[in-house]
Amino acid sequence: MNHRKLVPGELPPGVADLFAQRAEQKLALEALLRDCFSRWGYQPVIPPTFEYAETLASEAGVRLAEEMYRFFDRDGRALALRPDLTIPTARIAGVKLFDQPLPLRFHYVGSVFRYEEPRAGKRREFTQAGVELIGASKPLADAEVIALLVDALRRAGLAQFRVRLGQIGFFRGLLAVLPSAGDLAERLRVAVDRKSQAGVEAVAGELEDARLRETVVALPTLVGGGEVLPVAERLALNQEMRAAVENLHSVWGRLQQYGVTQSIMLDLGQVRGMAYYTGVLFEVFAPGVGFPLAGGGRYDRLVGHFGPDRPAVGFALTVERLLAALEHQDNVPGTHAVDVVFQACDHVACLAMVQQAREWGAHVMVDLADRGAEDLIAYARSQGIPRVALCEGAGRVRLIVGAETRLVDAAGWESEVRSWIG
Amino acid sequence: MDRLRIALPKGRSLSATLGFLAQAGYDFRESVQHSRRLLVLDGAGKLEAVFVKPKDVPVFVEYGAADLGIVGTDVLREVERDVYEPLLLPFGYCRLSVAAPADRPDIPLRWEPSPRVATSYPNLTYRFFQERGVSPEIILLSGSVELSPLVGLADLLVDMVETGRTLRENGLVELRTILHSQAELIANRASYVLKSEAMAALIDDLRRVVARVGASDAV
Repeated sequence: MNHRKLVPGELPPGVADLFAQRAEQKLALEALLRDCFSRWGYQPVIPPTFEYAETLASEAGVRLAEEMYRFFDRDGRALALRPDLTIPTARIAGVKLFDQPLPLRFHYVGSVFRYEEPRAGKRREFTQAGVELIGASKPLADAEVIALLVDALRRAGLAQFRVRLGQIGFFRGLLAVLPSAGDLAERLRVAVDRKSQAGVEAVAGELEDARLRETVVALPTLVGGGEVLPVAERLALNQEMRAAVENLHSVWGRLQQYGVTQSIMLDLGQVRGMAYYTGVLFEVFAPGVGFPLAGGGRYDRLVGHFGPDRPAVGFALTVERLLAALEHQDNVPGTHAVDVVFQACDHVACLAMVQQAREWGAHVMVDLADRGAEDLIAYARSQGIPRVALCEGAGRVRLIVGAETRLVDAAGWESEVRSWIG
Repeated sequence: MDRLRIALPKGRSLSATLGFLAQAGYDFRESVQHSRRLLVLDGAGKLEAVFVKPKDVPVFVEYGAADLGIVGTDVLREVERDVYEPLLLPFGYCRLSVAAPADRPDIPLRWEPSPRVATSYPNLTYRFFQERGVSPEIILLSGSVELSPLVGLADLLVDMVETGRTLRENGLVELRTILHSQAELIANRASYVLKSEAMAALIDDLRRVVARVGASDAV
């Protein structure tokens, strides 16, 4: 245990402060994402930040249970900070909305907490924005969620990105025909996850069946566009594998109708999250960020843990990583900062001008530091505030915009202010 | 299409690495010789290389600072970074071994109460002993690991062995092999998706050389 004395104000690892412009950018992005999710008919859900650890760590959520921040209520019950927003949303759907017409469509934006080593783009508190589509099992539902994700990324201004789309049933079906001897299945999973040709060949070397060997060796190479599907179909060894390819085929067809397949790469060697996902699964990558910005898929077994069985599909994107990707592509959402700083004075008419400008939608700040004209101009420049209003008597200001100066009175005020905010 | 960037390990295995890449049509030998730049292009301008310490290669690749890297299995398993490992390369063969002074009593390692083990591979070493029910005291060194039992710093050592000559000359014997190592091509997970076409072409180029070398080895 490290009991080094903390530097005053020190932050624990894995958390961050955002303020001023960066905070505005993040909020603007979140608002934009919420707006996009709403346009697709997804309503907001706001679950609590902490719940009983038992609920969050339920069977189906076991992948995150080890990473939860746990603490105790005064009555000794174990609580935990939410490690994602899917589990609480599934709980709400299962416990409270079990009798509502299906499907349910929810979106959320909120902080989640995970006890992870803060490295490789992982933080202990980060913001997830995502959707859950509960009670629909058709390929059209999978396609809707993926097309929505693509739409959200485009609306956010992300020009370059790629979705990696797989179907876990293909690998799961393969495991069913793999001899159960030794740790073959685990070794194959690791090899496929690492795209290790040598690894799959080593596993294949231990197999008797020639067709099985062929499929195993091909796993890391089932990557690309629609042309991958017939190859995968030929390599499918049982009903589960064939069904997975067929499902992916239908989803792909729908995605073509949505016109988003150019942003999507198929990969049947996607095996991460196997314990959780039951159908399609996907990740999103963008240049400049070495880690996935978003992830999701079909999880038909989670909601049933809290209520009646419900098929479900969704995704969560990490807002901080999306911001980093937008920054890399020089396309961070625009923010509306302060439009003008007013020199403080005693005139009621001047204060009225300030209040009117705010009413019309301008962002107006009043100087409280009694700066003289020169100081105030220097201050505005240092803060990136484009205009300074200096008092020229009751209801009259001298407006300084860059090198320009003009006198404005109450009569010209409204048109002046409206010209700033377009 | 963006040009790919590859992280290459400085030191021992660099000349083998550069020789292999040259065979595949990515020749950095000229540019490395005549320049002290940190980022260099191959002769044909198709691939960009950065030269970093072997243990840093997987870090550069995991973060996407390099799309690809070449590094030994030993380093890859030691640092445990989340990267793809598409291809084994036919050079840099060696093994990570446990060694001890030749006069060590002949008892199984699992009977050691809490051996002091010198190594620059703390994670692999710790795991190897833990799997045998032994909790070792790891002495982390960045070099001269062979020296440590001779001067009483450690009871055992874990280090890379190529021929075993250094060990023999210092009165040390290999007790166990922890893992066999060779050069591997690794890839950033995001780049693999975002630059899949360029990446596939490069991997194919390398695979052809691997097949050729493998065939000539067999002869």
